[in-house]
Amino acid sequence: MRTLLLGTPVLLKVRFHGRGGQGVKTSCRILGRAAFLTGYVAQDSPIYGAERRGAPVAGFTRIADQPILERGYIFDPHILIVMDETLLEDWMAKPLEGLVDGGIVFINTSHHQHFPETNNHYIVVEHNLTDEALDIIGKPVISAPAAAAAAKLTGVIEKQALLEATAEELYEIGLDDETIQKNLHVVSNVFEKVPTVPHRFNEAPAARRQVISLTVGKVVLHEISNMGNAYLRRTGNWRIFRPVVDYEKCTGCMICFIYCPDSVISLDEANKPVIDYDNCKGCMICMVECPLRAISAVREGKIVA
Amino acid sequence: MMTGNTAAAWAARLADVDYVPAYPITPQTEIIETIAKWTSEGVMKAKLIQLESEHSMLTAAGTASLTGARVFTATSSQGLLYGFEMLYSIAGWRAPIVLVNVSRGVAAPITLEPDHNDVLAARDSGFMQFHAETCQEVLDLILIAYRVSEDKQIMLPSIVNMDGFYLSFTREPVRLPSPKTVADFLPPYEAFKPFRANTSVVKGPPVLGGHIYTYFKYNLHESMNRALAVFEKAAEEYRHLTERDLRLCEGFMLEDAEYVLVMTNSFTTAGRKAVKLLRERNIPAGLLKITVVRPFPKKQIVDALRNRKAVAVFDQNISLGLGGILYNEIAGTLYHAKNRPETILSVVGGLGGKYIALEEFETIFDLLIHPEKIDSTEPVFLFRKDELRDVEKALKLAGCGGWFG
Ligand code: SF4
Ligand code: SF4
Repeated sequence: MRTLLLGTPVLLKVRFHGRGGQGVKTSCRILGRAAFLTGYVAQDSPIYGAERRGAPVAGFTRIADQPILERGYIFDPHILIVMDETLLEDWMAKPLEGLVDGGIVFINTSHHQHFPETNNHYIVVEHNLTDEALDIIGKPVISAPAAAAAAKLTGVIEKQALLEATAEELYEIGLDDETIQKNLHVVSNVFEKVPTVPHRFNEAPAARRQVISLTVGKVVLHEISNMGNAYLRRTGNWRIFRPVVDYEKCTGCMICFIYCPDSVISLDEANKPVIDYDNCKGCMICMVECPLRAISAVREGKIVA
Repeated sequence: MMTGNTAAAWAARLADVDYVPAYPITPQTEIIETIAKWTSEGVMKAKLIQLESEHSMLTAAGTASLTGARVFTATSSQGLLYGFEMLYSIAGWRAPIVLVNVSRGVAAPITLEPDHNDVLAARDSGFMQFHAETCQEVLDLILIAYRVSEDKQIMLPSIVNMDGFYLSFTREPVRLPSPKTVADFLPPYEAFKPFRANTSVVKGPPVLGGHIYTYFKYNLHESMNRALAVFEKAAEEYRHLTERDLRLCEGFMLEDAEYVLVMTNSFTTAGRKAVKLLRERNIPAGLLKITVVRPFPKKQIVDALRNRKAVAVFDQNISLGLGGILYNEIAGTLYHAKNRPETILSVVGGLGGKYIALEEFETIFDLLIHPEKIDSTEPVFLFRKDELRDVEKALKLAGCGGWFG
């Protein structure tokens, strides 16, 4: 077993936040295997609820130089990898929660410095993984690049181990050689470009959580009687691409209206589709189904909240 | 690096099983997917069949085992309960299958995360039960389970339990024994008078009058009891071959411990951390993990717990209207022991995979040190104020009301 470098804690915890379909599970696995191949004890796991493309998901990697006496959700990470900047505003994902004092937040962002610069409590590192992936891989898949950023920020992972882990994990999920090579290219770039950040974690014990004795005292049914609260989720900030209707081409055939899985398309008097961008999650099913190719995908450049 | 699910699939592969009847259910599906991949690639020669339900799956498993095939299958939660009736039959038939249960809380409300009401519901069925703390133990216990199940003295099926998510989807380093090691450890399975096309044999015939039924039930009970010694012998051999040390129950910082927490399954890992931290504060804390839940290792538990000041039993299950299942079993076991601990505290926690914070473990040990604070008629239900706030928020959002509020 390797001893973690001076100045790092005995157990290094990395939490990834992304969206269903972004490959969070693969990210935490690449990092876990890279740590293992570098010679550490590692543990990685994803957590998700009912699978839904675009929904917030999280993944966890623990790296240590001795057996790991923890499992499950990481509540107090040293390093946070936010794979989708729009998650920063998501009240359910709450990506910054629990970060240790002096922790590192990595944000995948397409427009630098939208986030307050480094403050006293944490260090922010920003990088545009999505465009890097679009350029080289041709798709906005950032599982491997996100793992590369995380690996660099841990300061304890060897590049060779990272590349080997990337190749193995991507092979395991069934990618072809060409795609794996492209991913290795991006991983290598990201590992070089992301800066080395000195670790100054302050592991002061977190505020004590109060243990209570539970009494409910009445019959509570677990039923949902408040209907129509889905708008509170504002799934609009899940989008990487925005569907835009070309009303010149659109004939008002209503097919997109029928296919939209989230019923966020309504029809105007001429039966032309009107998309509610607060809740359209960007699955692009409407674009694929439109027989006239009247819907196109426009890359989201800023936070839609 | 492998998940508990992959470790289970590897164990089936190394045990060279012949037949794998399957039906998908989260969080178990990955086991069968992995085996399906291997059988289609030809690296595993077992026959994998998807049945139309867990009830059919277990029926197929039991009957195939009676033909002399080594059978592996896996399920979880609602799936186990759907096939439940067959568990008793398979045990009564003396069909030594190994069934992996990936623990998941039983609906309603629906969850995907673990507690042990599913597997403990099967505790009286005649299946032996081995509960794993780590992905490595999943693999080890499946191999040992085959060895014990197929022993001529035993001939009973086994359930190997792992927690959903905390093991099933969590990857950690796992050491695989070589096929040669496994072959040395696990001799080929020989069925008693297997079903053959040319000989007639009836298994599980009806018996009326009660006395014949009683005779056979008692016979099952005897075999169960014998399995303790057979497990110990098998585990010892396994230790020689692999250096992996498995016990009926296992102590952690137990030797001079005055306050002992009894746990099972993957949450034990967090329990170890808590005990270690308390030791740093000079509190003589210790932990006892029970790996073999059926047969229940009464003697070993008594030996481990007698002369302690106070003991807490952590149940990740609840028998509604009574309390923790293992607490009642352990308290009953200790009742006749000389020098039994004066305080036995029942703690219920981790239902539906609820995380147990360090503060909650501290609360348990605080009660053990100050037993005057304990209300012995009710279990301590681990819960935190921040969690209650979360629940209240969710109730408000859903518009849940209560009656007689
Ligand atoms: S992308 Fe199209 S189909 Fe998907 S949610 Fe938005 S409007 Fe509906
Ligand atoms: S499917 Fe295309 S053509 Fe039909 S209504 Fe929608 S945008 Fe218009």
